[in-house]
Amino acid sequence: MRLNSIGKKIIRVDGLSKVKGKALYPQDIYMEGMLYGKTLRSSRPHAYINIDTSRAEKIDGVVKVFTYKDVPGKNCHGVLFKDHEVFCSERVRRVGDPIAFVVATNKKAVEEAIEVIDVNYEDIEAVFDPLEAMKEESVKIHGNSNIIYHYKLRKGDVEEAFKRCHVIVESEYKTPMVEHAFLQPEAGIAYTEDDGTIVVCASTQYPHFDQIEVAEALEVNKDKVKIINPAVGGAFGGREDITLQIHLAIAAKVTGRPVKAVYSREESFLAHSKRHSMIMRYKTGCNKDGKLLAMEAEIIGDTGAYASWAINVLRKAGVHATGPYEIPNVKVDSYAVYTNNPFAGAMRGFGATQVPIAHEQQMDMLSEKLNMDPVTFRLKNIFKKGSKTATGQVLEESVPIDRCIKEVADRIGITPLSERGGVV
Amino acid sequence: MKKIKLTVNKKEYMLEIKEDTRLIDLLRDVLGFTGVKEGCGEGECGACTVIMDGDIVNSCLVLAFQADGKEIITIEGVESEEEIHPIQQAFLDVGAVQCGFCTPGMILSAKALLDKNPSPTREEIRAAISGNLCRCTGYNKIVDAIERAALYLKRGK
Repeated sequence: MRLNSIGKKIIRVDGLSKVKGKALYPQDIYMEGMLYGKTLRSSRPHAYINIDTSRAEKIDGVVKVFTYKDVPGKNCHGVLFKDHEVFCSERVRRVGDPIAFVVATNKKAVEEAIEVIDVNYEDIEAVFDPLEAMKEESVKIHGNSNIIYHYKLRKGDVEEAFKRCHVIVESEYKTPMVEHAFLQPEAGIAYTEDDGTIVVCASTQYPHFDQIEVAEALEVNKDKVKIINPAVGGAFGGREDITLQIHLAIAAKVTGRPVKAVYSREESFLAHSKRHSMIMRYKTGCNKDGKLLAMEAEIIGDTGAYASWAINVLRKAGVHATGPYEIPNVKVDSYAVYTNNPFAGAMRGFGATQVPIAHEQQMDMLSEKLNMDPVTFRLKNIFKKGSKTATGQVLEESVPIDRCIKEVADRIGITPLSERGGVV
Repeated sequence: MKKIKLTVNKKEYMLEIKEDTRLIDLLRDVLGFTGVKEGCGEGECGACTVIMDGDIVNSCLVLAFQADGKEIITIEGVESEEEIHPIQQAFLDVGAVQCGFCTPGMILSAKALLDKNPSPTREEIRAAISGNLCRCTGYNKIVDAIERAALYLKRGK
């Protein structure tokens, strides 16, 4: 087989424009007669709101202050559930929820106007601990339950298998939420073409989803919405949900002028998703030869105020809960839970990144209890060609984890006891 | 308002500016040098790095009037008319460019280093770009590229 790209050094297509500083990110686009926009965001985690924009609208230079009343179509969006509002109508569910969007002829007027929008907050009890949020009596963020997803994985009989284990370790692990902090803060510019088509230029990971969401909020056909994705200054999952696309589209449509918005770093932190923080309870057991027999895990992912990709993320956490180890008896329950925390969504690894904190610590503790070196212990249990995963997948292609572990052990100066002729 | 005179990329500008205008806003919004990037607005990320009288500065932390009488180089001023700068070429050849948002600042920090120290160690390179964040975390390739650039520059002489 002749390969044209693989194994060859290819200079990326956008490389030259980037080293020259000519690559256009949305904040680099300036248009004749453009207006500036800025979002007013909730300062409370859970509250009913009343908004009065009249003072802001009187500020010199302010063209309009947009709120939920100005959304022509559906006041909602979301990649799985439409649980985000374009602008909060009655209630805010997290710090950072968008309430209004000020559009003015200059940046100063925008800043001044944001300060004088009156938001009357009537606080509601908030819940920040996902374990509390799972309880029947907890305050609900949306609908009747805060548990939006429960993934169950069952393989073999863990109860019976634990009885046969020589060593069992049990522990609880917590990972925090993580911010993507892509270097280019969200920015965008929207304008109307002569035939009424709304164009939104914004760095996004999902131009085709954005097009649908913008069209639904504007109540226009999809072919009347164009999303242009210029250079993207990093994303890492943090640009999978809508941030400013719909706000800009509505503002451009109503004012008939180009509207630009650039988030500050602080607003960027508030606006987009985070990596799901997780609570992971693990019980893992092996026989006296160090062969894993059983694993039981409960994983609770805090998705904050909105679902975003919670279902996919917690499913993936569940699927990957065993790590790269063949375990004949497995029971996993993973949950995605609403709270009033910042919302969580996609971030590098999509749920597969958190579980290694737990399963690898379990491996270390088991090997320590067995008095076996951790490299040998792992090599005994890893997936190989022909292994069956906990979900029943037979790995038929290349599975070179042994090479990876040996290479790592070698480079950090650990030689497995088995190769040193030691007792295993 | 205040009158200032400064040189950007070898061209002289006489400008009337507001006292609270930041250098980055002058460069981007007034003069159109959008290769100067704003990542944080508080001097943490280095995306807005420019060279001012031979030293790198965060243009988000410099007020425009402080650049009065100074000579500024932005990414747009690094290449010659005929070709891109050897540092830019090295970044391309090594694959040190990912999302590209840190790239202008990285290249300018590299230039400020190599202008003074044509044969830096990897340690010195790391120190020179320590004020520039790359969130794609492509630091090794960036250090490789600066090492390569030092070679290109020597060969060119």
